[in-house]
Amino acid sequence: MNKKILISLFSFFMSFYSFSEELLLKNAKIHTATDKGTLETADLLIRNGLIVRIGKNLSSYQAQVEDLSGKVISPGLIAPHSQLGIVEIELIPETRDDRSEIYSAGLNIDSAFNPSSTLIPYNLTGGITLSLTTPSSSGLFSGLTSVFSLSGSLEESLIASNVALTANINGGEDSKAAKILLLEDSLDLASITDFGLSPFITKGEVKNALTRNTKSNYYEIFKSFLPADVYYSARDLMALKKVLNREIPLVIQANRASDILALIDLSKRKNIKLVIQGAAEGWRVSKQLSEAKIPVILRPIDNIPHSFNELGARLDNASLLHKAGVQILIGSHETHNAYLSRQGAGIAVSYGLPWQEALKGLTKNIADVFNLDKRGSIKEGYIADLVVWNGDPLEVTSFVEGVYLSGKKVPVKNRSMKLKDRYLDN
Amino acid sequence: MKNLLFIIFFVTSCFHMLSSEEAKAFQSTYEPNDSGDIFIEDARILTGTGKEILKGSILISSNKIKAIGENLSKPTGATVINANGKWVTPGIIDIHSHMGVYSAPSLRSSSDGNEATSPVTAHVWAEHSVWTQDPQMPLALKGGVTTFHVLPGSANLIGGRGVTLKNIWSRTVQGMKFPGAPYTLKMACGENPKRVYGGKNSEPSTRMGNVAGYRKAWINAQDYQNKLKEYESKSDEAKELEYAPSRDLELETLVGVLDGEILIQNHCYRGEEMAVMLDIAREFGYKVTAFHHAIEAYKVADILADNGVCAAMWADWWGFKHEAFDMVWENAAIVDQANGGEGCAIIHSDSSVGIQRLNQEAAKAMAAGNRAGFDIPRSRAIKWITLNPAKALGISDKVGSLELEKMADIVIWDGDPFSVYSKAEKVFVDGLLLYDKDDPSTPKATDFELGIINSQENRL
Repeated sequence: MNKKILISLFSFFMSFYSFSEELLLKNAKIHTATDKGTLETADLLIRNGLIVRIGKNLSSYQAQVEDLSGKVISPGLIAPHSQLGIVEIELIPETRDDRSEIYSAGLNIDSAFNPSSTLIPYNLTGGITLSLTTPSSSGLFSGLTSVFSLSGSLEESLIASNVALTANINGGEDSKAAKILLLEDSLDLASITDFGLSPFITKGEVKNALTRNTKSNYYEIFKSFLPADVYYSARDLMALKKVLNREIPLVIQANRASDILALIDLSKRKNIKLVIQGAAEGWRVSKQLSEAKIPVILRPIDNIPHSFNELGARLDNASLLHKAGVQILIGSHETHNAYLSRQGAGIAVSYGLPWQEALKGLTKNIADVFNLDKRGSIKEGYIADLVVWNGDPLEVTSFVEGVYLSGKKVPVKNRSMKLKDRYLDN
Repeated sequence: MKNLLFIIFFVTSCFHMLSSEEAKAFQSTYEPNDSGDIFIEDARILTGTGKEILKGSILISSNKIKAIGENLSKPTGATVINANGKWVTPGIIDIHSHMGVYSAPSLRSSSDGNEATSPVTAHVWAEHSVWTQDPQMPLALKGGVTTFHVLPGSANLIGGRGVTLKNIWSRTVQGMKFPGAPYTLKMACGENPKRVYGGKNSEPSTRMGNVAGYRKAWINAQDYQNKLKEYESKSDEAKELEYAPSRDLELETLVGVLDGEILIQNHCYRGEEMAVMLDIAREFGYKVTAFHHAIEAYKVADILADNGVCAAMWADWWGFKHEAFDMVWENAAIVDQANGGEGCAIIHSDSSVGIQRLNQEAAKAMAAGNRAGFDIPRSRAIKWITLNPAKALGISDKVGSLELEKMADIVIWDGDPFSVYSKAEKVFVDGLLLYDKDDPSTPKATDFELGIINSQENRL
């Protein structure tokens, strides 16, 4: 009790000396996405954008208080793999900034991110507060993922640049074997390259650069490593170096069990951090994924054998992988409805994934795998990105009633709602 | 037998010019085994007619619903299924599917939905593309879908005939065809036709080009209809002396629409285009039965209700193309509630993923409507995926609700069907239990799935 008074007095006096902003959310059901699970009725004290206390009967002299009795709070959901902010309308190329033929692995999309995209407030309204925005070029390497807040802020949306490199061994006419070889050769090339070179390595430029470079006769090595029509800019090689140095994970889209094993093998030989995206047949190699500690980004509603690479797609994939000890991250099929990852999570629960794990799959596990510091859970010291729901966040009939980004309440309004208001009033 | 008589009556009345052999082509051969007597008791029933029976029973006898209500007495000799208070609904009907014509796996060799070689292809029939062993079909059955309507794609202004199928395993498409279901005709507004043909630098390349294309087709159809009528009106002697107008597959289908025998299913996103399509229908004297993918139906909900046209919608898909940009979550609810609840709302899938949980899609649309201030109970929202699609397919006298003498297409759910956590537990088609959650041999695997993952096991 004394301690509480002391803390209160302390905050009271501190308020004269700083511009600290406090918010106290009271009496909510809180899904923490930590090992503490769900707190049936609890309060959250937020100061300067951070969660400072979680408990019962909290009070503060200076906090703005909101009673959330009957409401549910979860961490803001994170879209683990979307084109939020870099695609407006899929079929209209001039609204897309998610693809490049100039750069491959080194494509960083930060400058193209549009915080005013209509998809941003729309998905915020669906419960997403952070997006891992990923380019989707069609080659082996799609490019680099960056993390953005869905605040809509023109100047402060970027949270972290280049947190993962994305690749894809499916699609196109070429053998998957060739793509895996190219992946390996590209990593090898990056491992022996230093960056005294000009930004673009065309054949002529490479030759010139290398004849000037006294260190080695790299050109001969380059030629032996890469097919004639493959070239990388220094930017691309730098991205590969980040993977080789284990600074960032390599996220590879793969579905067939044997493909996943081939990639696990490659990740061991190259000692890189691997994340499998898709993993439709992951359940068939769950033991190997678990032993190699490789997380998977799933879309749990995938059960259609869309191709011969995913004949084993099934709805209990998430549940089976979790049982084997694989870390699960949950995404959506579509960027426009990135928030529907929560419906996929609910479906995974109906096929055996524990509810708390499903929530972690939408939040904490994504923050863990991509090193998003102090995000993804409701925990003291963490950033207060929170969503208030009228019920179970995974239930299709529930909806978002409020969103806090870094402790600030933001409007829950989007263009679609304005259209509805216009025509409903008629 | 009754069905057969109906078909003969239907076909002869509709295509009186056709010889009996021509008329018999592609008829349904579906005939379910006798289900015997089944009594489902202690069920919470959404009837599909707008009612909810909190504790009711259903008696199935020889594939038909013979009794439904509270306090029914258990007949002797019937197989009794105690639902233990679980929810029961009519079998779900998807009015917009491409299963069988865009099968899984998705391969160039099985991409059979768009005859994108000419903007008017009223002469093609989707059923002639259907691969009955598409593994998407049993997955839809597990989602409670007992009937689905397969359409040609939307590359063309007039894409061809659609077909309504029972979701059963069969070697032949005739064996799946819904007995007595009228044919439908797929039309498409907007971006798709003008993109496909504009991209080839041919007509149509604009929305106005689209409209000119429909009108031209209907003018040809009217000419053909007049020729047929003129010939029919001649005396027998006169008929002896001249040939009947020669058959034309394209115009036969279009005349079928003008005669009111073939139902228009019109892919149309934008409000303005729906209003224009209704004017074209007035100009040529036919009816639009339903607009599909009607993203902007909420903008013209009263016009649709005034014209008795259904709108088939998604709960929340949007943004994949420009005409899908103005989606609202309340779309289905606004259509449903138009003119004081006179609207006809349908939730459709157009997707082998979405078709597996149309109940959840309806749940999202219902919740959005109620959040906007409407009062739409489950008993009404269930119609969006049962009775309303049955009406728009012309089969509501046979399925779509749990009423006497209708086909016993019934789903028992393991929880509230309007929840993400619930799944179909037992699915009956014509009283036959084709999916039972507790029986791993159901649903029957397609041929494709046998030994496809490894030689020991089937896919499902």
